[in-house]
Amino acid sequence: MIPINAVFALGLILFCIGLLGVLFRKNLVIMLMSLELLLNGVNVIFAGLSYHLRSPRGSIFAIFVIIMAVSEAAVGFALVLSYFRQKKTYDPDAINDLKG
Amino acid sequence: MITVAVFAFFAVLAVVSAMLVILQKNVMHSVLYLAFTVLSVAGVFFCLQAEYLGAIQILVYGGGIVVLYIFVIIIVNLKETAPERRKLFPKLFIIALPVLLLVEVATVLFRGKTTVSPGPEEGLSFPSLAEMLFSSYLVPFEVASILLLAVLIGAIIVARKKLLHDPD
Repeated sequence: MIPINAVFALGLILFCIGLLGVLFRKNLVIMLMSLELLLNGVNVIFAGLSYHLRSPRGSIFAIFVIIMAVSEAAVGFALVLSYFRQKKTYDPDAINDLKG
Repeated sequence: MITVAVFAFFAVLAVVSAMLVILQKNVMHSVLYLAFTVLSVAGVFFCLQAEYLGAIQILVYGGGIVVLYIFVIIIVNLKETAPERRKLFPKLFIIALPVLLLVEVATVLFRGKTTVSPGPEEGLSFPSLAEMLFSSYLVPFEVASILLLAVLIGAIIVARKKLLHDPD
């Protein structure tokens, strides 16, 4: 039996690495990759809880998270492509048209 | 015992390659390490007896998303882009937020044993997952299909070149 704390630790470490990537890197593609890492960390925790509760509900939620991640990747890449056509850069700090 | 060992192996592999994803300078190397991370997480899912989830992870992430990343990086020629700016001294809160989160996680995890109160035994088998997905979770399943259709249309509209006024 895999201890639940180990599963929590793995998921949260993956989540924190993804969060660091989103906050630190100045490259839109790597920021999208870090979002995938965030969602993977959440999926690990879902699968671990499903395993410990002996119930398939965690796996079902993880499947919905994967569907959401795929949608996010597709739309994110469409946005990156159209952004790159206009600005010729991956730098997220160049997105300042609205002066936010 | 062997399961715990295999779990630890895949967990260490996933964490190390996830670190390498965000530390690489070359975007293509990052994508390859992302593929490595995703496959290691699939191994973790197999250790947790979530075989369907592991298979979906390999198919969708390893076969779909990573290839999509590689295609986008090939389409967008990286030589045209300016080099990435690097801040030597990042702002304090940017580094403090994940560190605080990690410390909080560590205190929660190592303060005591987490108890998971078991509910009714529902089984982990594949048939029980399928039955539950298509009975209790039928509405979210259908909503997810609508979401995928909307994403399909939206991604095409956002990513195409604006040719509406072009006769060709």
